[in-house]
Amino acid sequence: MVITFPHMGKMYIPVKALFDELGVDIIIPPKINKDTLDIGLKSCPEMACLPLKVTIGNYVESIKRGADTIVLSGSCGPCRFGYYGVIQKEILKDLGYDVDIVILDPPREGLRELIDRLKKISGNCSLYSGLAALSKAFKVSEGVEELLELVLKQRCKEINKGDTDDILSRFEEKVRKVKGANKILDCIQDAKGELSKVRLDSKKKTIKIGLVGEIYTIIEPFVNFDIEKKLGDMGVEVHREMSVDNWVKYHLFPDIKFRRKQKRTLKYAKDYLDLCIGGHAWETIAHALYYARKGMDGIIQIMPFGCMPEIVAESILPTLAKNENIPVMTLVVDELTGEAGYQTRLEAFVDLLQLERSRKENEFGEALSWN
Amino acid sequence: MKIGIPRALSYFDYFPIWKTFLDKLGFKTIISSPTTKDILDKGVSLCVDDACLPVKIFHGHVADLIGKVDTIFIPRLISVSPGEYICPKFIGLPEMVKNTISDLPPLLVFNYDLHKGIKYRGKAFNTLARQLGLSGGVVDRAYKEACSMQDKYERMLKSGQSPLNILEPKESWDESIKNKVTIGIIGHSYLLCDRYISMDLIKKIQNKGYNVKVPSNVPDKKIEENIMDIPKRMFLSYGKRMLGSGIEWLKCDEVDGIIFLSSFGCGIDSFIEELIRRYNAREYKLPYAVFSLDEHSGQAGFETRLEAFLDMMEWRNRIGHNFSAHG
Repeated sequence: MVITFPHMGKMYIPVKALFDELGVDIIIPPKINKDTLDIGLKSCPEMACLPLKVTIGNYVESIKRGADTIVLSGSCGPCRFGYYGVIQKEILKDLGYDVDIVILDPPREGLRELIDRLKKISGNCSLYSGLAALSKAFKVSEGVEELLELVLKQRCKEINKGDTDDILSRFEEKVRKVKGANKILDCIQDAKGELSKVRLDSKKKTIKIGLVGEIYTIIEPFVNFDIEKKLGDMGVEVHREMSVDNWVKYHLFPDIKFRRKQKRTLKYAKDYLDLCIGGHAWETIAHALYYARKGMDGIIQIMPFGCMPEIVAESILPTLAKNENIPVMTLVVDELTGEAGYQTRLEAFVDLLQLERSRKENEFGEALSWN
Repeated sequence: MKIGIPRALSYFDYFPIWKTFLDKLGFKTIISSPTTKDILDKGVSLCVDDACLPVKIFHGHVADLIGKVDTIFIPRLISVSPGEYICPKFIGLPEMVKNTISDLPPLLVFNYDLHKGIKYRGKAFNTLARQLGLSGGVVDRAYKEACSMQDKYERMLKSGQSPLNILEPKESWDESIKNKVTIGIIGHSYLLCDRYISMDLIKKIQNKGYNVKVPSNVPDKKIEENIMDIPKRMFLSYGKRMLGSGIEWLKCDEVDGIIFLSSFGCGIDSFIEELIRRYNAREYKLPYAVFSLDEHSGQAGFETRLEAFLDMMEWRNRIGHNFSAHG
């Protein structure tokens, strides 16, 4: 049995750590590129959301490299993500790949089934070693997130453009080659060490933008055209509450303190939306409010075209923007999004924020009469 | 007090229970006029671009009611059946309306959540009555009558009547004509029953002399049976009904062709259509067409495709199992 899984940003690192510790063979799909998407476009329903198309590409590329089992997390509504596994199995079947798709649904859908499936993919390891592997994977996930946060903070202030990203891409190359959670943790430490040596312009005044939206499009750099890097290079400090680590902490790990904090943040948004409507719409609104009150200069929402929950969030955000007096821009991405237009919109948004900032600081005073 | 009910989305499935309940409580209910180009245009201009066509139409109907009523009834259907959901946009509907349409009268939001069990149905209606300042025996009686009205409607549907015939009894359709050829139309009831947006598809097909079946004609038991074969529980109620009836028609040879009526941007349709198409292509090979609707759909193109589909089906029935018409 050789396991593969879909890409979502840097999620492959903790997943790799987990399976390495369990001693299960895995194939990490190649980094998402245009070809990956093309495979998905040829075989997926046109109206499906972008992640479905990209992940099909991931599977096919991994299957060609020898994978025979796909592991996917599941859910039971209301977002259609819960049905990805079923659709993808049919698509792969018609493409001629008869592989096993293991969907890990939440326990309330059947605890027995979940345990059976977990046993299957963990190579029948003992409960103790399973938990030990899991706890190590959690550590890796935390480490990766810390590293990424450091990158976010530093990128906008580095003196030599590209230093931070060089370290990050070197780290990613290295991590694919090593085996075992401990070695991965070492890699993370090394990368952090290197990052601390990057020369920064600490006095630089940066514009602060908060990212909200659907988790996949926020985290996966291919589908959002590496928005973090694009903004960082423009000298923008990007804040991103949504992350794999937070998701794990909220849904899988018994981290009560974090859960409470998260629930508090969500309750915060009750004037705009006070129930879960699926996907990450509630988080989108809650985080947007959180950013607004934290003094960010602007908020960018990213979602895949046709994302059902985010469309609701999209209709609420303008009111929030008005009430909290903060600019909000929504970026909808799909397979046809052009990079140049996207870049232009980002630049224009950042320009506006800069203008607003200087107006607030009264640098131009009354000279800008059109304001 | 005049309460406005938008004639869109879940209206076509639940209007007997809503209307009877509110009527019996002593309110005057006003239903927005059937969809017109004007309503559609209004909806499109008010709603966010990315929403699907039915949600845009709903916005248009809400706008149509402004000025005519004292409050507008907006259903928030979280779940209509235990363990299942409908669609995220249905859950967020009140928020979408509130935040995109200005000058709204007060909204009467009806929270309906049976996710944890069917017993919450009565509670939902009690809460609705309390919002209107009523409680006690009047409410219970109204609820009972509303429920029996809804049951009656559903029984009529299950007996094979087209929802349009029940909704518009004046234009009676001669039940005695028993055509040989039946076409199954899979689609959300809010598309099929909206004569403007579905370009009157049901009537058009009936007028050409065919029988029409829609998902709401299929008994619940059959739907449940067919769904069991799917590897994962279908947790979207509308999706379940469409998928279950699609499989039923494929399996039981009840229909001679299937038309899938979908709207642009519908998240559920994109998945259900894919499954039914793949099952059909693999095993059953029934004539099958997908008609996708959006705010720009042209009547002429739609008609041409419909005629072409019917011609294909006829050829196949006449020539029998020659290869040409099977594609």
